Amino acid sequence: MKRILAFLLTLVMVFSLAATAVAEDPAAAAQAILDGKTFERTYNTYFSSSYASFNYYSTSYATVREIVANCIDGLVEPDIYGVYQPSLAESWTVNEDQTVWTFKIREGLKWVDHTGAETEYALTAQDFVDGIRYIGDPLNDAYSLRVVRNLISGLYDYYWLLDDIDCGNVTDKNRDEVVASFDEMVGVKAIDEYTVEYRLENSAPYFLSLIESSMLMLPVEYDYAMAMGDDFAVDNEHMLYCGAYYVSAFERDKAITLTANPHYWDLEHITLDTVEYQMIPDGTTSLEMFKRGMTDYTSVEAEAYDSLVGTEWEDNLLPTDHSFSTNYLWLDFAGENPEFNAFINNENFRKALLYSMDREVLAALREPIDPSRILRNTINAEGAIYDSNGVDYTDYEPLKTIKETNYNQPDLAREYMDKAIAELCDADGNIIGVEPTTVDYLPVCSFDVDGKLPVTICYVGTDDEGEIIMAQLFKAMIEESLGAENVDFQIQAFSGWTYGTVADPLNYDIYFDSLSTGYADPSGILTRITTDGAENVGKYNVPEFDALIEKALAAPTFEERLQYFAEAEAYICDNGFIIPFISSLRGYYMSYSVPYTSPLTLYGNSKYKGTLVMAEPLTQEEFAILDTAYEMEREKALSNAE
Amino acid sequence: MGKYILKRTLNSILTVAIVFVAVFMLLRLMPLSGYFPQEMLKETDEATRMTYLRNQGLLDHPLVQLGRFVKNLFKGDLGRSLTVYPKVPISTLLKEKIPVTAAFGFASMLLGIVLGLSLGMLMVRYKDRWGDRLGTGYILAVRAIPSLIYLFFIQVWVSLWLNLPMVFDKDIPSSWILPVICLSLGSIAWYALWLRRFMVDEENKDYVKFALVKGLPKKEVWRRHIFKNAIIPLVIYLPSDLLFIISGSLVIETLYAIPGTGGLLTTAIKNQDNNLVQIIVLMYAVLSVLGVFLGDLLVAAVDPRITLTEDK
Repeated sequence: MKRILAFLLTLVMVFSLAATAVAEDPAAAAQAILDGKTFERTYNTYFSSSYASFNYYSTSYATVREIVANCIDGLVEPDIYGVYQPSLAESWTVNEDQTVWTFKIREGLKWVDHTGAETEYALTAQDFVDGIRYIGDPLNDAYSLRVVRNLISGLYDYYWLLDDIDCGNVTDKNRDEVVASFDEMVGVKAIDEYTVEYRLENSAPYFLSLIESSMLMLPVEYDYAMAMGDDFAVDNEHMLYCGAYYVSAFERDKAITLTANPHYWDLEHITLDTVEYQMIPDGTTSLEMFKRGMTDYTSVEAEAYDSLVGTEWEDNLLPTDHSFSTNYLWLDFAGENPEFNAFINNENFRKALLYSMDREVLAALREPIDPSRILRNTINAEGAIYDSNGVDYTDYEPLKTIKETNYNQPDLAREYMDKAIAELCDADGNIIGVEPTTVDYLPVCSFDVDGKLPVTICYVGTDDEGEIIMAQLFKAMIEESLGAENVDFQIQAFSGWTYGTVADPLNYDIYFDSLSTGYADPSGILTRITTDGAENVGKYNVPEFDALIEKALAAPTFEERLQYFAEAEAYICDNGFIIPFISSLRGYYMSYSVPYTSPLTLYGNSKYKGTLVMAEPLTQEEFAILDTAYEMEREKALSNAE
Repeated sequence: MGKYILKRTLNSILTVAIVFVAVFMLLRLMPLSGYFPQEMLKETDEATRMTYLRNQGLLDHPLVQLGRFVKNLFKGDLGRSLTVYPKVPISTLLKEKIPVTAAFGFASMLLGIVLGLSLGMLMVRYKDRWGDRLGTGYILAVRAIPSLIYLFFIQVWVSLWLNLPMVFDKDIPSSWILPVICLSLGSIAWYALWLRRFMVDEENKDYVKFALVKGLPKKEVWRRHIFKNAIIPLVIYLPSDLLFIISGSLVIETLYAIPGTGGLLTTAIKNQDNNLVQIIVLMYAVLSVLGVFLGDLLVAAVDPRITLTEDK
């Protein structure tokens, strides 16, 4: 017994000493992990869904964007701390109101082909202009064009004029003439061979993050793309490269090889010669293959997590770090259900819904190990947007209060429900002004309402097992908190295939969706959910929110802008017009790569440039030491950047 | 015979045409939102989506679309994938995928026939004894246990025990072993089951008993009479296997990451990739009709009792 106690005491001392060492000099502790290690030059990873084509302007596939992010460089890229550094642009300037951005392009660069050989095509400012020219033509089917089309001066009009000509709505103009007038109409210009200028419709302090996140801001060799026609980027042999890697081998649905570009402008920071992707269709196989050393990375879903606890792999399990996508309940304010309509337009009822759910229980469906890490009360994610003082946007009041509120308050929910009933119903439980009728939510459902309590609520979701359980939890929590005598929560589930078609805005009362912070500005989401916004499918009318958004967009400084946005977001959340509850973050991973060695791409896709790959998988202890050191260094880097 | 073949050919063409036109028109009844993945529906506005549909010719009248498709088909242009592999020529996709699936299909068909017929004969040879019971156990297991269970078991555990790759890699010959075995498990059971049944039937027929009584060696009766007659009903299905060879297996190709055609039609339908669905349906319709047709011809060729023309 004494021996065991002595051993445990020794262990405690060793860990204490290690912890003290880390606390005293985290950078040295982190360096000690890397010292003496040899790093691999090949990284083996996998993909799980098809790589349809590599056309970075028209693809809707996130997997394609990951490959392209490594093969086509943008004007700027973040360093490992997320601070923007020169990439294909060696410098840039911006005017005072941040509506004109000018970038000086590196000279002497050429596009390479799929063999890594330099082509005759030089990379110039014109390639960035041509990128916008390409996406501005409706015939090229650019994907997710809205933000860029609305931001770059004249692009919106140019696009829709061409579209009107193509439709035959405009007959007094010739398509070729309009295309030839691109340089006059659209606010992107090659000032000289190596200077490109973007003129924007509005002030865009977040423009660099948009360059990082949007594939539409990448350059293209226009003559080459036009010569390829529909074949442009359908595979690795029909595209050109200007990034750290080129796709040297491509077997559709099977394997992809990225090889380091020997002509890359930043060759000294390429740490991997080759990145080998192979198709591994499911998480179980990738986990087994990781254990057998056949892949250097695997995701570990929460279900597989338990199977690894107590095994030799437990120490290698690391939590995924962030997701800017927020899951929320979307409410229909203009549906055909008169009972729900009467209640949802009542503030007390919305607040009753807001406080009726135990979000941690809902989170546990996705993240049973540590549900609290995926709770989210705000629409924009924490850690996504910072002001020039390094303050997180979600720490702006009153949004901070929303972020920190515990919404699991069934008693408060019941109080709000009672107030709503008092305001909306007579003493016999009849909903004032609501007559019995049949609600036609077809093809979702059709049901009778009697104009009395309980309020019938039609929830529509997919038939995914997890989502059905989540819907059942919504039902149980809401009916229990607000009283089954007051609320009748009905669930309708559809296959993912038909869900998109049937979940028409007018065919449900509540549904479940997600929104993602796409770049370093709350406007990315918030301007889409105003009363007139494209994402306001529930058709609420919130002039207070709209006014705050207007103020934010007109604010003279970025801090004031964020302040107004924070007030607007807090308003719409606190009044229950949208009910965010968890992030899309899920799962764990195991990897041989050293964290924080590649660019911190918060909005774009991850890059392999700079990635160090060890011979052994990373352990939790190593990760903790590296993480501590990194966070300290990042804080310094962010403050120096300002 | 020539007249029969001509009549069947014309009937086959008509069948394929009806199937194809029906599928083509049904696809045009699908909702327009189905052409966009959920992500795309969120990221694009209605007007931009209509622009996309117009660019693809999907807003034209269905008969105009049908005419354009047929015209292009006669020019050898199969079109481009719409949603599953946007803008990738379908001919390229088929060229990439069919050989892979066909190679696995042929290998598994051969294995299925050889092992299935062998097992069937073993079961008859040792009827109601250990060989028969072993074979029956195998057939029952393959048919009764949900295939995902044993397929998954083979992929994870058998690959570990035998040190075989978990997924297919065209550069590693041993990576063919497990998927081919998995693909043939069902057909081994099928051939064994039916050969046993037909051989037992034949064994009990009078002409067999008569031959044995007359003193013909049992081995010769087996080879020249029982096996030969029992195999005839199975021959009819051989050409139909052509379709299986080309269409592949969704589950096994997914499990072993085989870049073949398995699941291509399902994925295309799910994603409303009209162009891809049309070509695959056309291809499968032709192969199905051809398979049945060839099956009939083959049976007539091997079984003198069957004639394909009316006796005058």
